[in-house]
Parts: sequence; C-alpha cells; structure tokens
Amino acid sequence: MAGSTIDHLISVTVFLGAILLFISLFNQTLQTAILYQRHRNLATKCSDLLDNMLLNPGIPVNWGRSNCTPTGFGVQDPEFTQYKLSPFSLMRLRSSYGQPVYYPKTGSYYSNITMGFGNFLLVSFTQAINYSTVAKLLGVNNTYGFQLTITPIITVSVKEVQSKNPLKISVEVTGTGFPLANAAISYCFLTVALAEGGGEYPSYKTEYGTTYADDKGSVVLEFAEVDDDGISYAFIAYAHLSGLIGVGYHERVNSDKQYIIPFIDNLEERKVLIAHSYDVQYFGPPVAELSYNATFVLLTEDFTLREMPMDNDTGKVGKVNYGEGKPYKVVTIPTYNPGILIITYRKSAVEGGVILMPWGISSMAFPVTFGEDTSGKEWVATDLRQVIVNRVAYQAKLALWSLESYPVVG
Amino acid sequence: MMRTIEIFLVILIVTGAFIISSFFAVLPQPRSVSPLNLRRIALTTLQTLDVDYDLSEIVFKNESDPDWGQLQVALSACLPPNIVYNLTVYEVQSGGGGQLYLPIKSISNAESLGIASDASSYLVASSNVTFGVIPEKIGEHGGGGTLYILNCSDANGWWITGYTAHSLAEDLYNLLSLYFQRTIMIQNTTQLGQILNGTALQGEILQNAVVINTCGEAVPIPAGYYASSGVGYDPVQNSYARYCHTLGQRIRQYNWTWVNIVGYPLYYVSNKGLFPSEHNTWGIYGMRHVGPAGLNAFLRGLDNQAYAYNSGWITSELGVVYLSSEALYYCNYYGIYPSSYQTATRALPTSILSTYHLTVTSYVFSQVGSWLPGAVYRHFSPGDTDSTGSLFALGLTRTPDIRLTALGLLFDYKPRLYRSEYTAAGTSRLVVLQLGQTGGV
Repeated sequence: MAGSTIDHLISVTVFLGAILLFISLFNQTLQTAILYQRHRNLATKCSDLLDNMLLNPGIPVNWGRSNCTPTGFGVQDPEFTQYKLSPFSLMRLRSSYGQPVYYPKTGSYYSNITMGFGNFLLVSFTQAINYSTVAKLLGVNNTYGFQLTITPIITVSVKEVQSKNPLKISVEVTGTGFPLANAAISYCFLTVALAEGGGEYPSYKTEYGTTYADDKGSVVLEFAEVDDDGISYAFIAYAHLSGLIGVGYHERVNSDKQYIIPFIDNLEERKVLIAHSYDVQYFGPPVAELSYNATFVLLTEDFTLREMPMDNDTGKVGKVNYGEGKPYKVVTIPTYNPGILIITYRKSAVEGGVILMPWGISSMAFPVTFGEDTSGKEWVATDLRQVIVNRVAYQAKLALWSLESYPVVG
Repeated sequence: MMRTIEIFLVILIVTGAFIISSFFAVLPQPRSVSPLNLRRIALTTLQTLDVDYDLSEIVFKNESDPDWGQLQVALSACLPPNIVYNLTVYEVQSGGGGQLYLPIKSISNAESLGIASDASSYLVASSNVTFGVIPEKIGEHGGGGTLYILNCSDANGWWITGYTAHSLAEDLYNLLSLYFQRTIMIQNTTQLGQILNGTALQGEILQNAVVINTCGEAVPIPAGYYASSGVGYDPVQNSYARYCHTLGQRIRQYNWTWVNIVGYPLYYVSNKGLFPSEHNTWGIYGMRHVGPAGLNAFLRGLDNQAYAYNSGWITSELGVVYLSSEALYYCNYYGIYPSSYQTATRALPTSILSTYHLTVTSYVFSQVGSWLPGAVYRHFSPGDTDSTGSLFALGLTRTPDIRLTALGLLFDYKPRLYRSEYTAAGTSRLVVLQLGQTGGV
C-alpha cells in the first residue's frame, strides 16, 4: 500500500515537472513565431510607409512652397510622378541632424541643416514641419516611431591641395558602393574681389568649366589666377554619369568669425534674412560692419551653373552689423527653381569671404534627417529607395520601430 | 512503480512530439524576417539611371560601345556595397500573336546572386521612334459627327477681346477636326440660315451635330426669315430674343449641341448688314443688345415651351472656379492643358435643370453651391430617354480660352484614342535588374 502511494507521488511529481518543462519549451517556440510575425509586419509597414511618403505630394500639393501646414503628408514633387521628390518639401522638414539656431533679432529658432562652415540652410521653426505633426498626418502617432533619411548617392568631395600659384583643388567622386570613374564634372569657381573698384560692396568673378574624372573618380583642377592665399573663393562642382548626378562644394574665406548667415524666414515669399554672425555667436570686439553682395545661380540642363539676375530691389546688396538698432537685411530669391544663393561679404579691404545657401536641398546635395533617433530602439526595420530630387540622385531610407513594446526572446 | 514507468513513457512521447514539431517549425533566416524590398530598390535604381534618358540611350547602343562600361560604373556606384546585381537587356520582338524576348547583353558584379534575390523590369523605347495616335471619330458608331464652327464674316463678336471669331475658329478647327467625321466652317450668316433650315452645305449629316459659336456673347443672326417678326423679332418688346427662341427650337429639332465659349450666352445678336447703324451699347456696330432675355428664350425653345419674353438675369458671379476631377483626367487623356482654375462671372443656376428638363452630362468645372460655372446640359423630354438638343455653356469671364471648349466637348463625347503598339519590332527593349544581398544570413 505504501509502495503504491510512493509510486503515485513520484509519478505525479515527475509528470507535473515534465508538463511545466514542455509548456515552457512550446511557449518559447510560439513566442518566437509571434515575434517573427510582428517583425515581418513591421518590415511590411516600413516599406508601405516609405512609399506613402515618397509617392504622394501631400495636401495641398504645393505645401513645400508655401507657409501652410499640410493636411496630408508626402514629399513627392507635385510636377512629377514616380520617386521624384520636391526639394522644397524636404527643406521644410525640421532637421534632427543639427542643433537649432536661435536668432535674437527675430526671436525665432531655425532648423539647421548646415554642412560645415559657409554652407548654411536654416529654416524658421514657424515654417518647418515637426515630427509629431508628420506622425499624426501619417497615422502612426503613438504606434510607430520613425526616422526618414535622405542622403545623396553621389559624394563629391572637394579639397584644396595647394593654396596659391596656382590654386589646386581636388575633386573626388564616389557613389555608395564604387567610385564614379570618368564622370563628367562641371564647375563654378567664384573669387571674391574685396577692394576692386573701391566700391562699398564686394564684387566677384565667376569662371565656369567642365572636366572629367579619371578611373579612380578624381581630378585635380588648377586656377593660376589665385596668386595669394588671402583670396576668398567658392567652388561648386556637379558630377554626372549615366543619370547619376552629385554635387560638391568648398569655400575659403579670410574672415571666419564675422561673416554673413542667411536665414530662410518666409518660403512662400522667398524671403531670406541676411544676418551678422555675431548676432548668433559672439566672439568679442572689435565688431565690424559687413557689406554683402548676393548672387543666385541655377543648374541648367547642360549641367552648367548660370547666374540668374537679381534686381536691386530684391536686396541683393546691403550692409549688416551686430547689436541692437542694427536690423537684418532681406534678400528675395527671384524664382522657385532650385539653385544656390551665393553671398560674398566684406569686413574690410583685406578681409571677407563667401557663403553658400541652397534654395531647395538638391542644389547642394544636402542630406535630410527627419524624425527620432534610432539608437536604443528594440527592433528597427529599414527600407531603401533610390529617389531623384530635382535631377540629383538620393537614397531615401526609412527606419521604423513599434512603440507598442514587446520583449525580444528566443 | 508501474505509474512511474508510465509517466516516463508519456515524457518520452511528448519529447518525441516536441522534437518532431520543432523539426517542422523551422524558423526563417533572420534576413527574411525584415528584408529589404529588393524589387523596389531595383525599380527605383532603373528609374534613377533613366532620369535623363541615359539608360534608354545606352541600351540601344552597340554591345561594344564604351557607354555600357559607364552604365556598369553608375550601377555599381549607386547600389549599396552589400548588394550584388545582374542587369540584362532584352530585345522585344513582336509578331505572330506573341512577343519574343531575346537577351542582348548582361552585366553583373557577381557570379551568383545568393539564395534570395528579386528583380524588376523596365521597358524603354528607342529615342528615334515616334508613336502615332489615331482618334476615334465622333459619330463613327452612330449618327451625327458633324462639327459646325461659326466663322461668320458678317457678324461681330463680343467678350472675345484679343481674338477674332476667325482666329478662334481656326484654333478650334485645329483642335477638334481630328475627332469629327466632318468639320464645316460656317462662313457667313446666310450659311447659318441654310443649316437652320435643315439644308446640308457639303452633304454632311445635320442631325446630332455640334455648333460652336465663336462670337462670344453675341450670336450671328441671318437676315430675312430668321430676323422677321414672329420668328426672330419680337415687335412687342422690340427685341431679337425671339430669334434665340427659334434657335432653341432648331437645336431641339436637329438634336444639336450648341456651344457658348464665354460669358452670358446669346446676350447680343449680330449681323453687320442687318444692323449697320446699331451697336451693342459699347460701340461695336453691327450688333444689337438682347440681354438675359436671349438665354431665357433659348431655353424655352429648347424645352419646346411657347415663346415668352423674360428679361430676368439668371447667372451669378462666382470668382475663381476649378476644373472638375473628371475634366482633369481628360486633360491628360487628350493632352489639352488649360489652367485648372478660371474666373466665372456668368455661372448658370441649377434651377434651369428642372425648369427646362435638362440633365448635366459633363461637369467641366466643379459645381459651386447651386451654380454651374461650366457644364454640358442635355435636354430630355419627360419620359424620353433620347436627348433632344444640348447646350454647352462656359460661363467664364473674358477672354476665352478655346482649349476649355475643346476639352469640354471631348470630355462629353469621349472619343477614344488608339495608340500605336509600344512593342513594335526593334523599338523597345526590356531591362531587367536582379538584385541579391551578400553577407550575413
């Protein structure tokens, strides 16, 4: 009797232990399968959401060129089909890449996509569309988080290799996976003449040319007229091969503390504020007034840059200074075609420089990073598309994650 | 002891079940859980390479052409380093009821594309090929098909500022004659009188024709019978609104579509010979003011109601109006692109639909409240399914955009366009880009 009781107790204990073990094992398999489904669903959602953003222009279709807040989100260029994006809609996305800049004279913050000294793109927060608005418009608010990155496929790296007699500039063209061998390169070389003619405002000379990269995708250009390393210049290069277009740029200035900063303040009216750098970052006395001369250039169909005339009443020349009672100036961009605003400035007869500002992100192949940071997220699905922004080749990448937390096991 | 043995047997069976189920429940590779959409990447890569039609140009070049090397460089440069590709170009040959795809050239950066790959295809056409379009003729499968354009040299126009009736008639001829069986220019008011009498000018079919009045707010009036008392002239009111009523009756009789290209329809009557010393109150001689009574009388005539003089103003000034979504679709279909927004100052009320038994068959502009800035109205007698006359009225302000008239008519009649085959031999090539991923699992 006692033997059978012991037998019974042992068998029940072993049975219960075994059942618990098997439940745990089967549960693990089931959980892994569920997670697989969730992750698979996230990947599908990511692909769909990316297409939603890239294949519709939003509502209203021209929101990128206006000051309004869209009621439907999309960045497709309304004048085209397929994966062709609007350089202005992308410009209105509040960048999560650079620190916002505060300009005390307007009391506003500006979204910052500045790419190193002298290459500014600052869009007023009142014009820029923020992440939470877009998340709501896309219907993913509180369910998914995302980051949209638009990066140029072609990198055109421009470096100064010799400063004078002659000035030598190397241009290197690479894609995401390979150098762009034998690419055609068209360039604009602009030198600042600070004292020429004794005028109040800096003048400039432009030189246009075309050349070809070698088998390694690089070329060195020489400019014999630069015989002094105090000469300020800007160099802009467009590289193109079989439909792929990339942009590179480089500036040299001899006044790198007191310079001009352009702020895009009104997209609809194409107004750009011209500010003194000391209003944004003060480096100490002496403070000098800056005179400036603005030029707008466009990329033409034959890949050459051409100047678009600006009338005097557009504010193309003027003077700005730091401090109260010294108002900023305003330049009106003459067109809605993407281009580059080149502003030469003069601090004194020997000090000055040049800064660039793209009008539409594509004209200087600026990248755009929009949305939340992906770091620390549990599971991030990504998808890619090759896109065109005003003829410049870009890669659009969407990183998407779920905000409805579930543990990763298995 | 027996129970313990039994339990171990159960454990053995369940273990076996778990092992067997685990064997079948194979988990996918991590890469396939969250895959890149290679098909989309392939398609967008091909679109990127063809943005300036470079791809379309290269694939038609000789196989030994150095541009193929450039294409490979561009392809390698624009794809991420972990993506391998194979691009194959096929010649498309058609004939014998089928199509044959012959491989022409293939470029690749790897021997194999791995275990999982995906592809997209892209059809390109040679740049030296033109594709023709043959339009279906209106009236080809039924009666009618005649287009009359009023180009009356003895009548003046109003609200066609900047144009002449003759230049508008020429433009209309160029835009619309392709779509009609016969296009006839009515050169003077005498010829207009002839067709109103039911006499064909060149043996054309009168019934179901379209008549476009290029004189704007004025309508040419033939002298003689159509200007006589009780037919064209109302001696009691001293008005030629009676002519508009007769015109409406003729439209009904022949089932014509009367087209008013701008402004208030039938606001003046014009005949230089008939009114040599009268003007429209704005200094244009050869014309006489009728006012809103003209349209009211016309609509009564169209609806077979007895003539009654009514000088009540019925239109409204709406300001900016927009092409309807259907009209925008037909802009693309027929390749006619007027501005999508216009200014309407003579929009007709929807109340005319019930008053005169009209049905709107095409909304050229979107309806604004109870006003119609531009639409085609067909008349249907109560209980009848066949239309008896139509009015296409564009109540826009001057000056007229004649493309809107052409668009509205094509939108209403919807003649089909027969396009040439894209797969004609030697004119098309198919580019297939297959992508695979390297590294990882």
